[in-house]
Amino acid sequence: MLLAFVAALTVTAGVFSVMLAVRLLRPHDELGTTWSHGVPLLGGQAPETHAWSRFHARYYPMAIVLIAFEMEMMVMYPWAVVYVELGAKALVEMAVFLTILSLGILYAWREGAYRWQ
Amino acid sequence: MAVSRLARLAAAAPVPVFAALGAGARGPVEELTLSDDVTLVDSPRHATVLLVVGAVPRSLIRPLSQVHDQLAHPRATAWWSSEEATLDPLPQATLIRAESDVVLAVGGLHAALLRGERASELDVLPDEPANPWRGLGANGQGGEGMMGGTPYGRPMAMTGEDRDGLPLDQLHLRLGPFLPAFPAGLVLDTVIQGDVLQECAVVGNPFERDELLGGALTATPPDPERTLAAMERARARHHLHGVARTLRLHGLDALARRTLALAMAPPDDGDRVRYLAHRLERSTALRWATEGVGRIDPSAAEAVGGIVARAAGWSSDARSDDPVYAELGFTPIFRHGSDAQARWRQRLAEAAQALDLAAAAGERRSDGAALELPWGDDDADRRLLDLLPGLLTGQELGDAMTTLDSLDLDLERVARAVARTERA
Repeated sequence: MLLAFVAALTVTAGVFSVMLAVRLLRPHDELGTTWSHGVPLLGGQAPETHAWSRFHARYYPMAIVLIAFEMEMMVMYPWAVVYVELGAKALVEMAVFLTILSLGILYAWREGAYRWQ
Repeated sequence: MAVSRLARLAAAAPVPVFAALGAGARGPVEELTLSDDVTLVDSPRHATVLLVVGAVPRSLIRPLSQVHDQLAHPRATAWWSSEEATLDPLPQATLIRAESDVVLAVGGLHAALLRGERASELDVLPDEPANPWRGLGANGQGGEGMMGGTPYGRPMAMTGEDRDGLPLDQLHLRLGPFLPAFPAGLVLDTVIQGDVLQECAVVGNPFERDELLGGALTATPPDPERTLAAMERARARHHLHGVARTLRLHGLDALARRTLALAMAPPDDGDRVRYLAHRLERSTALRWATEGVGRIDPSAAEAVGGIVARAAGWSSDARSDDPVYAELGFTPIFRHGSDAQARWRQRLAEAAQALDLAAAAGERRSDGAALELPWGDDDADRRLLDLLPGLLTGQELGDAMTTLDSLDLDLERVARAVARTERA
C-alpha cells in the first residue's frame, strides 16, 4: 500500500517536473500570446458582436418536470418508512418540501411545459 | 537540450502551411497538396508558415495582417508571387519568386525557425483589444451585462426567431476573405443563427478598381493562337482542379490528390477521368454531402450559363455552333438536378469529353470568335455573384460552403469583366 502510494507520488512528481522543464525551456515563450490570438478566425475580420451568446437549453422543461415529479418520489419513499416513528415533525417537513416543489411545478406550468403539442 | 532535439525532429516533419490567396492564386496552391513535405492546414492556428500567394489588393492588407497575427509562435511568412506585383503585403515576408521551388523554400523557412536560426515574426497589428472594455465607473468597472448591453465595447448578440419557433441569438459575422473554402477575395456579411445563414450579402470586390491590380486586369490577356487540342486540355485541367478542390473540402484527400495528379498531367483521352467519375459516383460520403445542396432555379441557372446551366438541364454551349467542333462530332453534355452533385458530375463529364476532343482534334484550329470558356463566358461570374446571396441565405453553414465551392466563382474574373465594361 505504502509502496503504491510512493510510486504514484513519484510518477506524478516526475510528470510535473518534465512539464515544468519544457515550459521553462520553450524557445519562443517570451513572445507569448496577444489579443490577435484570442480573436476567432473569420478570415481576417474582427467579430462585431460579443461572444457571450445565449443558447436555448431545450432540455430545460424536461429537466424541471423530472425533478418535480420523479425526484420527489425518491424522498417520499424513505419518508414513508419513518413517518409513523417521527409523527407530526415528519409531516411538517414534507409539507415544506412539497411547497417548494410546487413552486417549480407552477413555474413549469407558466412556461407551458405541460402543454401537449 | 531535449527540447532542441525535439525541435530538430519537428523541423523534419511536413510544414503546416496556411495559404492566404491573392490574385491568381488558386491553382498553384492546390498543387502543393501533392507534396509530402507540405501540409495545407485550414486554420492559421495550426500553421507555422503563412503562405501569401499572388498579389494582395491594398484593401486586404488589414485582414491579412490579422490572419498573420493569429499564427502561433514560431511563425514565418512567405510571399509567393510573380515579378510584376511589387507591393509587399507584410513587412517581414520572405519573397519566393513564382518560378522557384516553393516547397523547398517553405521547408527552409520552417527548418530555420525550429532550429532557432530565424526569429519568430512579431505581430503586425498592435497588441490591444479591438474593442476595449468601457465600463461605467471611474475604474472601468460596471456596465450593462447580459441583456443587450455593450460589454467590451461590443454589442451583445440579440435574439431573433428561429425556424422551430424558439428565439436564439443571432451572430453578425463578416466572413472572409482568407477562409480556405472561400474564393480569393470574397467577403460575406452574414447573420448566423445556430448554423443557419439567415442573411447574407457580398461586401464589394477587393480586386475591382485596385490601383495595384488595375493595370494587370484591364490589359487584354495574352492569347496566342492556340490549337483546339491545347484549349480543350486547358479546359479539362480547369475542371479537374475544381473537382479536386471539392473533394478536399469534403475531406476526401486521397481522391483529391488523384484528381489533381490527373489535372497536372492530363491523360491522352477521357477514359481515366470517366473511371474516376465512376469511382466518385459510388462514394456515399460525397453523395450525402452534395446531393440536393445548393439547388439553383433552372431559369436562373440558364441565365448564368456555362456548367451551372448545363447541370440544370440546358444544352447551351457556344461550341455547338462552331463548324470545327461539329466536324469532331461535338454535342454538349447536360444533366438535370442543378445541385452541387450535378455540378461536380458535370465538370468531370466535361473534363473527360474535353480530353477526348483534344485527342481527336490533332492540329485543328478554330476560328470561332468567342468559344465557350471553362467557366461559361466572360460575364458568367458577375451574374453568379449577383445570384450568390439569394442562394446561400437559409442554408446551413456547411451546405453554404458546399454551394460556394460548386459554383467555381472567381472574383478576379468579375473584376476583369467590370474593367472591360468600364473601358468600353
